Amino acid sequence: MITQEKYRTTVKELLASDSVKMVIGYKPGSTPDRRRPLFIRSSDDADQLVLDSTCITNLSGYLVAEGLLSDEKRVGIFLRPEGIRSINILAAEYQLNMDQIVIFGFDSTGREVRPLEGRHSKDFSALLSDIKENSPQISKEPLLESIERMNEQERFDFWQEEFSRCIKCYACRQACPMCYCRRCIVDSNQPQWVNTSSHTLGNFEWNVVRAFHLSGRCVQCGNCDRACPVNIPLRLINQRMAEMVLEGFDHFAGLSPTQEPVLASFKKDDTETFIL
Amino acid sequence: MTRILLSDKLDNCVERWRSAGMTVIGPVQGESISRYAVVENGAGFDFGMILPDRSVKELFFPQTEPMLRYTIKKSEIDTADFPPPQEKRIIFGARACDASGLAIDDSLFGWDYKDDFWFHRRNESVIVTIACTKADDFCMCTSLDLAPDSTKGCDVLLRPLENNRGWQVEEITDRGREAFAVIADLLQESSDQAAPTAVVTEKFNLDACVTWLQNPENFDSKFWKEISMRCIGCASCTYLCPTCHCFDIQDEGDTYSGIRRKNWDSCSFALFTMHTSGHNPRSTQSARWRQRIMHKFNYFPGKFSVNSCSGCGRCSRQCPVDMGITETLQEISKLQS
Repeated sequence: MITQEKYRTTVKELLASDSVKMVIGYKPGSTPDRRRPLFIRSSDDADQLVLDSTCITNLSGYLVAEGLLSDEKRVGIFLRPEGIRSINILAAEYQLNMDQIVIFGFDSTGREVRPLEGRHSKDFSALLSDIKENSPQISKEPLLESIERMNEQERFDFWQEEFSRCIKCYACRQACPMCYCRRCIVDSNQPQWVNTSSHTLGNFEWNVVRAFHLSGRCVQCGNCDRACPVNIPLRLINQRMAEMVLEGFDHFAGLSPTQEPVLASFKKDDTETFIL
Repeated sequence: MTRILLSDKLDNCVERWRSAGMTVIGPVQGESISRYAVVENGAGFDFGMILPDRSVKELFFPQTEPMLRYTIKKSEIDTADFPPPQEKRIIFGARACDASGLAIDDSLFGWDYKDDFWFHRRNESVIVTIACTKADDFCMCTSLDLAPDSTKGCDVLLRPLENNRGWQVEEITDRGREAFAVIADLLQESSDQAAPTAVVTEKFNLDACVTWLQNPENFDSKFWKEISMRCIGCASCTYLCPTCHCFDIQDEGDTYSGIRRKNWDSCSFALFTMHTSGHNPRSTQSARWRQRIMHKFNYFPGKFSVNSCSGCGRCSRQCPVDMGITETLQEISKLQS
């Protein structure tokens, strides 16, 4: 509650002084356990803001939607550490100018919410480095461990079963801050690179294409997993890809706004002859 | 006295219907989601849920459906139709909102072109609705002039008994009577009372909303931008909706042969109305959300005299950003008062 009140006051001040044109945060949802994204444009509306442990959604995707930042004005946004990593990647991929972003950082343990000190992306670099250092020690969820123990055929069968439920609603893509392409590869129809049908093959194509595109970019915010209306455990795919990228390239996505995208950068002295 | 079916007779019922050549389908709770699926005996049903996560629509209008196979030769093109399925089915334990959804979509699929795939399945399927005795915060059938025990779109209505032993049986159509004739000797006369139907509070004033939507001045209202600002543009609401019926025809294959398929499509997607030129008449998410609401409560009733919404609430229940028809119509109701 204290964190929420403090932030409400700061948000009001920034809006009243025109330091930001909008603040993206959370407000109560249709049931007590739900929170909705909130877009605050005037300090009078700041009282709608809530901040508690149920504020989970990574809001950073809104920053790159429908030209919000095109007027070069500043926007405030409530972000957990994963969200800060997301906007670092967006900046590294030239999707936003970090100087336009005012961060209201927070994190939670249990029901306790605490503020993260700082307003600019660079204020959080030590925090993010710590998270990288600690990430190998975080215990994996049992389901991921059991998938890793499966042989190739069992793993294929597992995902075939999971993907059989996919309806290609693209909620995973739309909820993902990294899926900002103006035209997704699956929406390109001249030629039609990827089948639009959501039969087994089409569902595999879609989900595997997405996994590849997110390798080295996913921060495991869980937006895709929570958005999936048929409960495919999408987080596990991206978690595994992130682990492999960390092991193979010592790359932890979103450490800073200038971090080179690991699978989209080229070095002349690369020992590999093949480039993805 | 009314006729009742005891739940301990379900195994026999399933067996009878299966012997009569029918596939028995009902609400099934899977590991990850619930849906209407094939059951082999009485234990397969799950009648405890408010409603399945996925609507009954997919049994009549699957997410992807082959229509024809084509082969392109030097001088001709060979095509072979995929015939509509002939399977006889009984869907036991549909919810009233899902059954109503089917009746609503009959008008669309039978409008200028009669969709064989839809109507074959409709004609070969018996819908047995079980009236709801509980509802959640998202249920809104009563706001759409429907009810937890609506008989719209159903062939037999069952009302759960207060003592939980089974259901009162009310046959609605000849198709329903035929299916229940197969199990007639398993029914019995009883004075057991039906449990009260679920109380579904009215969430919005539909008439006021429709009046507002029909006013051309409101088409460009800033309301649309405000209400849909957080919409992320996925198709979760449209694909789970029991009445959303848009589809896309796609040819899948190589240069010389392939399969033409009918796939679900959604007005939420930017690509939905994208012209070849690159121009998009619904270029913003707010225009797309407006279309969804206008279509359901203005254009569709204008053409077919029925709203394209049966009040199941799945759009709101499942929305990743907690939007939905309920909130939008509630906000429109407020504008009107």
